This record gives sequence, C-alpha cells and structure tokens, in this order.
Amino acid sequence: MCYSGENRFDFSEGMNVIIGDNNHGKSKLYDAFYWAMFDQCFDTGDKKWMPTRHFGKSIISDKAVHEAENGTMVHAIVRVTFKNTDKDQAYTIERKLTAVKRDDEVTADKESEETVTFKEFGFNQGKEITNSAEIEMLKKRILPDNIRPYMWFQGEQVESIIDFGQTSSLTQAINVLSNITRFDQVYALAESLDKSAKDEFQRKSRSFSKDKDKSDELEIKRNQILERLDLLTRDELSKRDTLGNADEDAQRLMSQFEDASRMRDLDSKQRSAERGLDEVSEDEKQERIDLHKKMFTHQWVLKGTEHLLKEYNLKYAKYEQSRLNKMAEVQARLLIENEMLQEIQTRLPINVPEPMYVEQMLEQEKCLVCSREAKKGTEAWESIKQLLDRTTANAREVEEEALSKHDFSADFKKLQQNGYSMDRVILRIDDDIKKTFQQLKRLGKRRKSYAEDLLRITGEMNSMKAGTSLDPTKAKNIVNELQDKQDLMKRFQIDLGRTERSIEQLKEQLRGIEKELGSLVSGELPAYLEEKKKVLENFSIVAKSTRDRVFYRLVKQLEEEANKHYQEMMQDNQGVRGIIKLVESTKGNYMPRLVDENESPLMQLNTGNIILIKLATIMAIISARQGSRDTDLYTLITDAPMSVFGEDYTIGFCKTVSRVYRQSIIMSKEFYKNEKLLRELLDSPDIKRGKIYKITPSIPDADRTNRKSLTTQIKALN
Amino acid sequence: MNKEQILRAFLEDELFTEQGLLKEGEAEKFKWTDPRKIKLIEVLRLSIDGVMSSETEGVSSMKINKYLNG
Repeated sequence: MCYSGENRFDFSEGMNVIIGDNNHGKSKLYDAFYWAMFDQCFDTGDKKWMPTRHFGKSIISDKAVHEAENGTMVHAIVRVTFKNTDKDQAYTIERKLTAVKRDDEVTADKESEETVTFKEFGFNQGKEITNSAEIEMLKKRILPDNIRPYMWFQGEQVESIIDFGQTSSLTQAINVLSNITRFDQVYALAESLDKSAKDEFQRKSRSFSKDKDKSDELEIKRNQILERLDLLTRDELSKRDTLGNADEDAQRLMSQFEDASRMRDLDSKQRSAERGLDEVSEDEKQERIDLHKKMFTHQWVLKGTEHLLKEYNLKYAKYEQSRLNKMAEVQARLLIENEMLQEIQTRLPINVPEPMYVEQMLEQEKCLVCSREAKKGTEAWESIKQLLDRTTANAREVEEEALSKHDFSADFKKLQQNGYSMDRVILRIDDDIKKTFQQLKRLGKRRKSYAEDLLRITGEMNSMKAGTSLDPTKAKNIVNELQDKQDLMKRFQIDLGRTERSIEQLKEQLRGIEKELGSLVSGELPAYLEEKKKVLENFSIVAKSTRDRVFYRLVKQLEEEANKHYQEMMQDNQGVRGIIKLVESTKGNYMPRLVDENESPLMQLNTGNIILIKLATIMAIISARQGSRDTDLYTLITDAPMSVFGEDYTIGFCKTVSRVYRQSIIMSKEFYKNEKLLRELLDSPDIKRGKIYKITPSIPDADRTNRKSLTTQIKALN
Repeated sequence: MNKEQILRAFLEDELFTEQGLLKEGEAEKFKWTDPRKIKLIEVLRLSIDGVMSSETEGVSSMKINKYLNG
C-alpha cells in the first residue's frame, strides 16, 4: 500500500477529481472507499472484489510495515465520513486491519474491524452504532444495492455493469428507474388466475354436460392438445432464444463486420501486394544479373564497334591484295629460279655424275670422276657437297618463304567471316539494350507501385488494428462467423415458422374442442363463473400489455436520457456521432444500436463507442430519476472511467457527470500530463467542481527499488 | 410509483375503452379510492395491493377468487 501516515481528502458537492498517473495510488484510494464500506478490495489479477483476508498485510502501508519494530503492531485504517448537511448529522464508517511484526515477519489479522459512529454537529462526542442490522440499514441508505453498480464502479467494469447481451441487464437498470417488477408480479398473478379460472370453467361445464362420455373424451383430447401446446410453446421459446442469441451475435458481429471485412480485404490485398513485390523484385534482380551477363551473351561488349568491321575489311582487303602480290612475286621468282636451276642442271658437264653419284662420292670421300681423295671437311669434299646442296637449297628457300612467312590469310578470312556474322548482332545491340532497360524500368515501376501499395495497405492495416482491436485472423473469423450465424438464423427462422404454424393449428383445434364442449352443456352455467372467466382473461391481457407498454416506455425514457448524455460527451469529438437506439431483439432484451438521423445503423461501433453508450446509459438511469430523493443523495465514485476512450471525450464526460451527479469522486490520469485539459477542468463554467487533488508518490516509479519508504503526497489544486 | 400510479398505468390499456369500461381520459384521472363498480378494476386493485404489501401470490389469488365468486 502506498499511503502511509495520515492522509486526508475532503470532498464537497460537485465533481471531485483525484489526479494521478498510473501507479500513483488512485485505485488504492478507490479501494479504500469500497473496503471501508464493504470489507472488500478489487483484485486486479482476478478482476473480482475479494475480502480482506485475501489481501492480508498488503493492505497495510509498506513503509509502516518496514519501520515497525519487532513485537509491535501496525494498522491500516480507512475512515469515511458521510455528512448530511440538511440535518447537521454525520456517520463515520471506520475499517481497521491490524498486523503484528515478529522476527521481521508480519502477520495480518484474517478479519478487519468495523466501527460505525453517528454524530450530530455541535456535539463533540459521537455515538457508536453497534447493532449490525442498523449498520446494514445505514449502508443501504448510503448506497442501496440496486443503485450500487451504477454509482461505484471501476472503468474496466463498465463493460459488465450493463451487459446488453444479458436479458436481465437492462431490466435491472429499468428496475432502478421504476417499479417494473411490480408489473411483472401482477402479470404472473394474472396468468395463474386466468389459467385456474379456465380450468374451473371447464370442470363446471363437464358437470353440466348432456353427454358425459363425449365430454370426457373431449376433455382428454383437450388436455392432450394443451400438453402438446405446452411442449411446442417451450420449443418455440427455446428456438426464439437460440434465434435471439444468434441475432445478438450477428448484430455484435455486424457492428464489427464492416471493419472486419475491410481488414480481410486489406489483408488479402497486403498478401497480394507482398507476393507481387516479391515476384517483381526477383524478376528485377534477375534482370540486373542478366544485364551484366548480356555484355557477353548478347554481345553488348561489341557495342560501338560497327566501324571496326569496315576498317578490318579494308585492312584485310589490303592485306589480301598485298599477299596476292607477294604470292605472284614469289611465284615469278620461283619460276625464274627454277628455270635457272633447270638451266644450271642442264648446263652441268656430261661427266658430272647424277646427284646419287655425288652423294656416293661424299660418302666414300673420294671423287669418282678424278679418283682423287676428298676427305670429309676438306675443301674438295665441300666442293663436292656444294654441287649437291646448291640445287636442293635454292628450291627449299623459295618454298619456305611462300608457305610460312606470309600466310595468315585463312585466319584473317575466318575473322572476317566472324565479323560478318557479328555485324547483324552489333546492329541489334542498341535495340536490345533499349528493350532491356525499358523492361528494367517497367519492373522498377511495378516494384515501386507494389511497395507503395504495400506501405499504404500496411498503414491502413495498422491504423485499423489500433482503432478496432482487430487483427486479420480475428477479422477473418468475424466474417466467417457472421456468415455461419446468418445461415443458422435462416434455418431457425424456417423452423420457428413451422412451430408457430403448429401452435396456431393446435390453438384452432383447442377452440373447436372448447366450442364443442360448450355445446354439450345443458342448462345454464352459473353466471359468475362465465364472468369470472372473462374478467380474469381480460386481467391477463391487460397485465401483459401494460407490463410491456410500461417497460417499453421506460426503455424509451432511458434511451432519450442516454442520448442526451451521449451527445454531450461527444460534443468535442469529430468522430462518429449517431443516435443511440435501444432495439428489442427477438430474445426480448434490448441492444444498443448507433443510428443516423434516418435511423440507418452506423456500423463503426468500437470499444470506445460502446463504453460511451454504456456510461451514457448508466448516467441515464440516474438522471431519469433526478430530483427524486433516490439518486440525489448518492455519490458517484469511479476509478478511471475515462481510460477506455480518448482525451477528446474527457471534458464532455466531466460536464455530463457534474450535471447528472450531485456529488462525484473521480480518479483520473487524463489531467495529469495534459495541462490544457487540467486548465479546462479548473476553469470551465460548465463543470460544477468540488475539490481537485493531485497525488504523487514520494519516490517516482522509475527511481523506486523498493517501497520501504514510499508515501503518497496529496496536493489540493483548488 | 405508488398504487394509484400503477393502477392508472393498467387503466391506460385500450381494452378498457374498447369494452366501454372507461371513457377516454378517465384513466388518467382515476383515483385509488374511486367507487368499485368495475370488476376488472377491482381485480387490478386487489392484485396491486397484494404486490405492494408483499403478499404471497396464493393469498392474492384467494382474495381475488373470493371477490369474483361472491
């Protein structure tokens, strides 16, 4: 517990506000009221009110527990004084929990102690009230049970205070407004009297029958029909119930359908955009990789080399010409040389032997012509050899020159042929590059478009998620569930129609039997009996229609009041307006719808709207009785009622509260950081202010390592 | 709502004018203590009385039956 030492809040008529951030002790203060009155605190984990023993020592200040010496007692005490200024009287309810510290262990009592005192102003001493019945009565006067849920509540409980899904929820609210239960009781009595009068009449009719057997037989038939009628009526009710539930579910789903279906479409678009983006990005990536490959695969590397082929052709032609010239030259020379060689050979002396003999001479190192020796290496041997070498050497030299030294022709020709084949490709390169870049540009554009779509869709999706508390899975489920519910309703409507027709047929049969039974009556039935039957039948009709009419009128009254508050709370907000309409469902309970001026439903009911409608309805229950003693005397105490809707509604809510409740105590964090709102709260002439307090912890949350020295500072702002 | 207001709410039902039990505008002026000429109104009075005084349904039924049988 963050409150330590003595902390005092004085509240006056009007709207009293306790301002504090999260974890500053607002809820603990709210708990303190509830604890003092009802010996219960709110368990935030279980979201339930639990008795003192459930919380034990955690109710006591951590600082007090820490500072207590072993063997001493520590207490948590809450004292709430209710003043009746008209009578100069005050009642004080004090609740106290004691704990003992031993060996640094703190043990709290299981039960708290309650002391109630009554004091008249001007007298020093109060009188303690010890009679528990008197205390209970006093508490009921301070806050009657039927009003309690609408006067003391936490923001997060608003949803369940008026649960439009429960048939009894609005009836309970209507009960606070009126004595509708009285009408229900009268109707129950009327129904029972009507039935017993009819039975009595039938019994009497049978005793006056001229044909007893026939009457008995008809009576048996009548009872059988009544039994079947009872079964079918119950079946009809059960079907109506199922249909009503399905209708409520469908309505609930329908209110989310527009958002859900939009989210489902967005989800599908998002997936499609993601897929498209992936595909296009992949294509673009591949195209960029191919772009580099195309330097070679599409011969882009040859771009701008068209002139080289021409230059090459020129050079090649020149080369070819030169080669041909050279060939011709060589051929001519060879021709000359060969001719000369032939001439030399033909001019050799007769006694000069054939080369084979010259070779033989070289081998034998002897001239076979003159028989002189010619040793190898000698001048004579070299001279013989020269005879042999001269003819062959001259012929080889010409051959070599012609074959190897200048013959690149084949390669050059091949190159030229290659050049010709590339020529067409080179001519198409520019076009190819242009097309490739156009394709890249197209892909880039498509990627950008997909990325933009994706960004837009994701943005829309995120804002929808934030505004509707839906996600794609939920949205898909809602759409599917609604379809299922609508199918179910169609089936049940057909089924219900069949049951209704059967009931109608049985009623027709019953009327026939009763007529027949009547015709068997001989003599006159006592007049009073006929009259009694008629009076009680009318009583039943009047009781039913009056109950329905009164209830409907109260619903309309509630609707009218709720609308006043709703419009007032919405005044600073530009969002969805609409008019609250409480529409009766097939199940018989009333569901809120937000409609436009033409009574066409507005579908965008988010959690904030629903809470506002519920708060407006809660206020309507109180304001519809304004001026009556019942509601004027009670104080609204609520913790964080504005936390579920935006700050746009805060001032509107405060104005409405200060108009509806004579005294209210509201714990709020909305004014803690928003200076503008705080100024408006402190200055607005439309808010009837009580006391405004700001509470802050002695050690900020962020700097707190433990709660051993934690206290709460209270500052009055007005 | 007091007894009279509850009774008036019942008397506003169109059945009363349709069956000629009350004239137009008569219901809203009707007083709890007005003469008890119409049996249906008396039955309503008895049942409202019973409900307001937290009588059991059985007791109220008995009273009404006794009245109508008499």
